[in-house]
Amino acid sequence: MLLIKCPYCGERDQSEFTNGGEAHVTRPKNPELETDRGWAEYVFIRSNPKGIYYERWVHSHGCKKWFNAVRNTSTDEILLSYKIGETPPPIKKFQNRLKSPSGEPDVGSGNFAVKKP
Amino acid sequence: MTDNKIYFKFDGKKYGGNKGDTIASALLRNNVKLVGRSFKYHRPRGIYTCGIEEPNALVQIINEHNEPNVRATVKKIYEGMVVKSQNRWPSLKRDFGSVNNLLSPIFSAGFYYKTFMGPKGFWKNLYEPLIRRTAGLGKPPREFKSKSTHLHHNVDILIVGGGLSGLLAAKKLAGTNKDVLLIERENELGGILKNSNKVKSINDQEALEWLEKTERLLKNSANIKILKNTTVTTYNYSNHLTAIEDRLVGIEPDNKKPELILHKIRTENTILANGHIERFLSFRNNDLPGVMLAASFEKYVQRYGVVPDNNPVIFTNNSSTFSLLKLLIDRNCMPKAYVDVRDVKKIERETLDLLEAHNIPFYPKSEVEGCDGNNEIKKISLRTKKNKIIKIKASMLCVSGGINPDIHLFTQSKGLVKWDEKILTFKPEKSFQKTITLGSVSGNFIFKKIIDEVSQKLNFIDGANDLDLKIEVNGSEEFNIKEIWETKNNKKSLWSKSFIDLQNDVTTKDLTQAIKEGFDRIEHLKRFTTNSMGTDQGKISSINALGIVSKLLKKSVSEVGTTTYRPPYNPVSFSAIAGRSTYEFYDPERKTPIHPWHLKHNAVFEDVGQWKRPWYYKKFENETMNEAVQRESKQVRESAGILDGSTLGKIEIKGKDALEFVNMMYTNSFTKMSPMSAKYALMLGEDGMVKDDGIVCKINDNHFITTTTSGGAANVLSHMEEFAQTEWPNLNVYLNSITEQFATFNISGPKSRIILSRVFNNIDFSNHKFPYMTFNTFDYLNYKVRILRASFTGEKGYEIYVPPKYALTLWERIFYYSRDVDLVPYGTETMHLLRAEKGYIIVGQETDGTVTPLDLNLNWMIGKKKKDFIGKRSLTRSDIIKGDRKQLVGLIPLDKSYGIEEGQHVIEDKNIPSQIDKPIKMLGHVTSSYFSPTLNHSIAMALIKGGNRKIGSQIYVSTSNMNVIPVEVVKPNFLDPENKRLLS
Repeated sequence: MLLIKCPYCGERDQSEFTNGGEAHVTRPKNPELETDRGWAEYVFIRSNPKGIYYERWVHSHGCKKWFNAVRNTSTDEILLSYKIGETPPPIKKFQNRLKSPSGEPDVGSGNFAVKKP
Repeated sequence: MTDNKIYFKFDGKKYGGNKGDTIASALLRNNVKLVGRSFKYHRPRGIYTCGIEEPNALVQIINEHNEPNVRATVKKIYEGMVVKSQNRWPSLKRDFGSVNNLLSPIFSAGFYYKTFMGPKGFWKNLYEPLIRRTAGLGKPPREFKSKSTHLHHNVDILIVGGGLSGLLAAKKLAGTNKDVLLIERENELGGILKNSNKVKSINDQEALEWLEKTERLLKNSANIKILKNTTVTTYNYSNHLTAIEDRLVGIEPDNKKPELILHKIRTENTILANGHIERFLSFRNNDLPGVMLAASFEKYVQRYGVVPDNNPVIFTNNSSTFSLLKLLIDRNCMPKAYVDVRDVKKIERETLDLLEAHNIPFYPKSEVEGCDGNNEIKKISLRTKKNKIIKIKASMLCVSGGINPDIHLFTQSKGLVKWDEKILTFKPEKSFQKTITLGSVSGNFIFKKIIDEVSQKLNFIDGANDLDLKIEVNGSEEFNIKEIWETKNNKKSLWSKSFIDLQNDVTTKDLTQAIKEGFDRIEHLKRFTTNSMGTDQGKISSINALGIVSKLLKKSVSEVGTTTYRPPYNPVSFSAIAGRSTYEFYDPERKTPIHPWHLKHNAVFEDVGQWKRPWYYKKFENETMNEAVQRESKQVRESAGILDGSTLGKIEIKGKDALEFVNMMYTNSFTKMSPMSAKYALMLGEDGMVKDDGIVCKINDNHFITTTTSGGAANVLSHMEEFAQTEWPNLNVYLNSITEQFATFNISGPKSRIILSRVFNNIDFSNHKFPYMTFNTFDYLNYKVRILRASFTGEKGYEIYVPPKYALTLWERIFYYSRDVDLVPYGTETMHLLRAEKGYIIVGQETDGTVTPLDLNLNWMIGKKKKDFIGKRSLTRSDIIKGDRKQLVGLIPLDKSYGIEEGQHVIEDKNIPSQIDKPIKMLGHVTSSYFSPTLNHSIAMALIKGGNRKIGSQIYVSTSNMNVIPVEVVKPNFLDPENKRLLS
């Protein structure tokens, strides 16, 4: 179970939180001017990367506040959490640590328990 | 009794054991070696190990909790305990299922998958029940009686394992400012110091003396907490571990006390000092009762004072068996033979000296070919250096195939392991979390190095003590091992077996066959053969399987890799997971203030979310639901009815920007709406699909109250919160759930106005003063009520909102004032029928997350002039405006008395062929269906493709007995389409 830092309450168990999907997906200012494709991008399409991911969480069994967090999806490390409206550091500020030749972190990914000879 | 013995029963026979005995040690004390039958072949099985790794000795405890698959090597006996062997019939010694062993040549890997393929229906009705009866383990309890609880810990350092290295770590941290939790699986600290005689002395003290002193020191250290009888089962992310504490060690279960405690531990650093597990070797009949791991044999002697056999044969490929040899000789128990796979040059001097001095038959560079006997070992057959077969009469064989660091928890923590060619096993290489491994789990098998290791790895901790200690050991310090996984079988019979997984009855032949069939990846091979998939997870054998497979594939073990270790480390009782969340504590029940009245009036309840809602009321004992619903609904239409609507979700929206916010959340327009009026409103998702519906009451532009569906209240509030906080944090708006602040009654029917005028005689309910969809707050007695004129039945109706504390009195008062009017209490089923007659939708019944307001012909609810609301843009997407989407229609069967079944398919063609080659074209499905007593015929609603264009045509609905019924498509409004009743 992850330990997640609510920017308002501090570190709490994951079971107090609900994940809210990708962060910084801004609702178009003028939806009626969007093409079908542009609107579908906002409603349905998410980046789903392996690695650094900006996502939303809500402290649903706590202060009920929404906030954003940066998580490494291949290791599940939560690297940072910050309030709504704050600007996070760019992706390159977060090192995808311990890379293997396949481009995957060599520990924590769950795919390779054994160190390659 | 005066003899201090603890008496228990095994398979009906009474035995005595000592205090602290496990079932296994007590049985060995009584010379019982046969304790179970194997899973698949029903072969006789004995006690193989002395701990958590046991694959064979699984027994059933017969008591109130009826525990199945209990490891006899772990569970301690208590007075009067009743133990039964498993998977045998009629008795352990004569087991009918052992016929499987005769048939075993055909029961190879993948047998079930390949054999029980057809004919159709045979699997479900014949094969599966048959297999389940013969294969399998114990019987689960019939009723859940066990009580367990959960505890949380937040510590700085967690030490897993109270053996030598765990104790050294704790000693190093004693008196520091770190909060330390030390967890020990057994009932006593000590680990290897208790289980073997490997450690001679520590600081010139006897090992056990040092242990006692150290334990006293730790107990007196305020910063150290020790948990015994506790097994760490799971190592999660963020250094979160769970451990199960057994509170009933050697005690009979007591329903008043917790049996297990699930500890949830969050720690800064984890120290894994959980030791190692000895592995076995594969040879012919390596499953016969009498075969035991060497270190386990040693543990029985050292810890329990039981010598399982006075003259066993020792079979080893490494240096660790020296201590067993010495222990036996010290006790004057001379081994029948000492068989070592290694060349004499590689065997330690100390071992050779000891063997020579006591004249013990010694076979270097030899191996055990197999063993024979009926229900236990009688003869052991050796293959000597010169490839000669020798038979030795013996009843027990102690095997050591090497030592594996117990890396289960370490790999669960996502750490990386590496194959070590020198000690022939995997050991931790790199931690992923703040995890430190100490002692044998880190691959350090040399006692003298442990002090240095502990000092070095824990020196980063401020104020850690110096460990100025000296350890003396018995025998050689170095660990030496020769690679061997399986010995050569001398018998080429189809029935001869050499096991790789004892619990799941997987043989080495199965591995070979699986690879031949192409399952050469270790994860595939595991699943095909079920190797290491038993409750022991192959603790003594999984590395051996990798060894054998690597030889077959001519690859290194590193390349073969291991299968993924997953939590839990050992079986966890559901009782521990459930904790206190059982029965009435599992999920809260929500009851309305009127609940006692419903009970008194024979309501039958329906669960709506967590709410208990009256489904219908039984007027007399044998009234069926159908009868009750027909009666209730007719009475509402003819006179008046009252429904307890307190479960309805209520949300209060306040703030300067409340109007703007409500306009964004719902499809309707609220700008021009006058204060103290209400609107039926739809809430969409951003994808344009109907999410919820309710009534929005506008008090003024800064204050709204909305109602939601009973089940959807929490979701709607969090949906609103999400947008308020993340999308428009600039809006000044506050949301609050007021569901439980008001009880709600819905009174409707032609006589509702008369009743209310009597109850609230100072209020004018006339159409003119109190028109449809308006509301107001009134003083009544000493409190306030809010009355809204709205209806979900199509009749004239009112909703009364009242503080819960006055609700029941008011409810009874309403009945008091309608003595001469026929006021009927009705439940949710009648409510559903009444609204269906009017074609009103229920979110979740007419909708399923793929239905837009356009599909429901609710276009009139969309504020056309509104620039934006959640989901608006989606309503003009090309797919949403397509004419052939599924649309809501009404259906009336041509034979009007015929009932349509809810959920049935709507089809265009009346013929369903008996043999179906092509899929039948489906138009949609029936969402609601009732028999209307007012209209005196069946009515139904359905979502069908291009429904609006089909009005007036004839189509068909399937039935559950493969028939079709012809129906006419109509507009989904069966009763009073002009709303005369509603507005009267």
